[in-house]
Amino acid sequence: MNRPTDTLGESAARLHVTAKSSGAYETGPMKVVGKSALRLDAVGKATGATKYGQDLFDKKFLFAKVLRSAHPHAEILGIDTRAAKKLPGVVAVLTHKDVPGTNLHGLIRRDQEVLCSKKVRYRGDALAIVVAKTEEVAVAALEKIQVDYKPLPSVLTMEDALRVDAPKIHAEGNVLGEKHLRRGDAPRAMRDADVVVEDTIQTQTVDHAFLDLEAGRARYDGKMLTIEVSGQWLHEERRLIALALGQPLEKLRIIQPATGGAFGGREDISIQIYLGAAALKLKGKMICLRYSRSESTIVRHKRHPIRIHYKLGAKKDGTLVAAQITFYVDKGAYASTGIAVMRKASSHATGPYKVPNVWVDVLGVFTNNNPCGAMRGFGAAQTAIAYEGLMDRLAVKLGMDQAELRRKNLVKSGDEVTTGQVVPYATATECFDAVLQRIDWKNRSYDTPAPHLKRGYGISIVCFGLGYGDGFPDASRARCRLTPDGILEVYSGACDVGQGLINMIAQIAAEEVGVPLEKVRPILSDTALTPESGSSSATRQTYFTGSAVHIAASELKTQLRDIAASHLQELVYEIKIENGAAFNVHRPERRMTLKEIARVGKKRGFSLEAMGVYKPPTMPENTQTGQSMRAFVTYLFGSHACQLLVDTETGEVKIERYIACHDVGKAINPDQVIGQIQGGVAQGIGMALMEEVVMKDGKIMNPGFTDYILPTIRDIPEIECIVMENPDPGGPFGARGVGEPPLIGTGPAILSAIYDAIGTPIRELPATPERVWRALLAH
Amino acid sequence: MKKPVNAKSTRNGFWALRFKLNGRKISTRVPPTRTLLDFLRLELGLTGTKGACLEGECGSCYVLVDGKPMNSCLMLAPQVQDREVTTIEGLAQNKKLDVIQQKFIDCGAVQCGYCTPGLILSAKALLAENPHPTREEFLVGMEGNICRCTGYNKILRACEQAADAMGLKKK
Repeated sequence: MNRPTDTLGESAARLHVTAKSSGAYETGPMKVVGKSALRLDAVGKATGATKYGQDLFDKKFLFAKVLRSAHPHAEILGIDTRAAKKLPGVVAVLTHKDVPGTNLHGLIRRDQEVLCSKKVRYRGDALAIVVAKTEEVAVAALEKIQVDYKPLPSVLTMEDALRVDAPKIHAEGNVLGEKHLRRGDAPRAMRDADVVVEDTIQTQTVDHAFLDLEAGRARYDGKMLTIEVSGQWLHEERRLIALALGQPLEKLRIIQPATGGAFGGREDISIQIYLGAAALKLKGKMICLRYSRSESTIVRHKRHPIRIHYKLGAKKDGTLVAAQITFYVDKGAYASTGIAVMRKASSHATGPYKVPNVWVDVLGVFTNNNPCGAMRGFGAAQTAIAYEGLMDRLAVKLGMDQAELRRKNLVKSGDEVTTGQVVPYATATECFDAVLQRIDWKNRSYDTPAPHLKRGYGISIVCFGLGYGDGFPDASRARCRLTPDGILEVYSGACDVGQGLINMIAQIAAEEVGVPLEKVRPILSDTALTPESGSSSATRQTYFTGSAVHIAASELKTQLRDIAASHLQELVYEIKIENGAAFNVHRPERRMTLKEIARVGKKRGFSLEAMGVYKPPTMPENTQTGQSMRAFVTYLFGSHACQLLVDTETGEVKIERYIACHDVGKAINPDQVIGQIQGGVAQGIGMALMEEVVMKDGKIMNPGFTDYILPTIRDIPEIECIVMENPDPGGPFGARGVGEPPLIGTGPAILSAIYDAIGTPIRELPATPERVWRALLAH
Repeated sequence: MKKPVNAKSTRNGFWALRFKLNGRKISTRVPPTRTLLDFLRLELGLTGTKGACLEGECGSCYVLVDGKPMNSCLMLAPQVQDREVTTIEGLAQNKKLDVIQQKFIDCGAVQCGYCTPGLILSAKALLAENPHPTREEFLVGMEGNICRCTGYNKILRACEQAADAMGLKKK
């Protein structure tokens, strides 16, 4: 069925929702889910009333600032804070001695000191915290702190890090870890292949560049330490803060202010522990801390730059037979989420393509550069650039159309992906066909307005495992409650970082219970009020927290129907709840409102609340072969097509047309799904064409928006979205998710189009005009 | 910086400052090195104006000074002496949203919302000067604002719809 759901009624968006029933999940007509309800938090944001971290400051609070390392790699011989403490207005100066717990943090491996005691490993490492009456005094006091360093030779490239005589960044050496995948006999299949292509691709360091700088406040009242800082997983942050500060969990309350973007950049701990340590020391005082743009950029982890050696073998007819891939991952100074990123690179090494023999080796190497960790795409974004690039090269070598070659090798329902997991509902082909049709692939024209302009067409396909996967505990919880006023409250610890999960949660609850959206009050992200819902990452919140809300709402509904049935003296299976009222389906005049149900229910001792837990299992990988029958709970599919012009005199790229198709299972809010797709594509355009953190001697040379180039409204073309809905039996109302795949598909589609235009590949990202021009020169 | 004509140096190095903010007269004292952004946010509690890049590249901190969008992170508070400043808080009249605000909400142009106040003020200034901008004129007018979430498509649509709505009202 074809249902255009562009609620704004503009053909400009060219949106079509198509659905092909997988037969696995059927839903009836819905009232709230599937509607582009306006964002519940939009009015506050559009009027400036919404409070973000920095908006919680007041002149009368104390202000903190953090001292950062002067060297990328050095031993600390001593820290003298006496002069700083004497400065008028300074209230306290903290060093590692003032951190009461382990003084360590890190999401997977606790290898990073909150305040360094013996050694610094990159320029963002922290040494001391000053708390003062004003921010100006705190800044002045930082300069009075004397740190005695013994500089060590810094290790800035992976080659240097792997030398036998390389200085050791961590006691155990410079290798974070390895990941391997062995499927079939790739070297042998490669020897037998008719055609082999091979290349090395280097991706760049990318910054999240969310606009809302790290900022927040904390206060310890003697019983409870309350920290208000934006994160992506409050309950895990609370665990990390508790360990670092040696406090019991019950003593910590973490509250999420409104959050201006995250994109993975708030997964690692930022300022929470600094604030907590300072607040514990200064009982009763409210302490504020904010980063400047440069501090935020210098301190925060980045997207991993990865060097990818990719070898791909095929038969004469284009059937893929073997892939051998090596990833060298620059980890920077600390582990962060690196090992999981490495696994995601290996488990997504051949993307949506069916390859019987695959060998992958991933090596994560420590350097004295910025630590690298989570960013939208999480290892799969870099990988996609490699596999799609090689597919293009293979098509040229085979003399085959690049779309035909791709289509031939796509994973279909019931096929195994690289991890050995069977994908029951693969819609890669459907998505791919939709974009090919939209861009009219067969009739594409290479005519350009001038001879120095070359046109190119690029395509990409995404197959992305949703959730943490690999047996890592992955659960969401939610609680639904009917208030005495008949309001449906939904509690979830999930963080809305701007993506709009507030609507996702509210719309699912409203739909399930049968109330209008205005009667739902979502209460999010406060560890004192809300149950744990896991992180806002891995494209998981709709699938996981959405399901938990669905379960809780369904339980609550059972209770409400029960109350209504006994009160109205009707049969419970004849009671329906719709539009905020319960009634008998045969005698609609026999009805009561939710407010009445709340009153009656309370009198009769009903709890009027219900908890939902969603915890679909995955299985750990075999560490030798990387195989897992259930590596991920489900897979997401999407496909992009792009048409662009390359100016061969300047190397500039102009995107003329961009099409993105994603199968989201069910669009809980189609307008927001499109917002996620368009935003992901814009970030992908940034990564493909302009964004790059330039490091020199362990120092970021472009820590501000003047030199770190982000896409503006002029750089982003109209992004035509095709939202496909093939329901997933494990998601709420069949929904899957949408966060990361739009970014993953973009880089490869653009690079593929540049290759199509100029006939020579760009091997180093981003494809800046200079790199494109040089590639043309060498061609 | 040249000292504004009517600014008087007072005790503790504070300067007297008089200006019009969202239609109301303000008379206060301010340290001369305080940026307009910090002054609005910390001294006056108007936190709708956001700081993001703090070097004049992203437009999150836009305020209208005599109707022109200005980076409040790059201006010092005394520079608005005797001038008229409009922040996002001053846009809604009698609790009724400005048509641009309404269109941003209706078109789904608000995601994380951090760039939203600056963008709305940018559009406000653009439409005040040119009620019927072409697509190209919109792009030129809005390219000083960075948005990291939306991919700009919905923002552009919100601005164009706001222009249409304002045009209809005039007819």
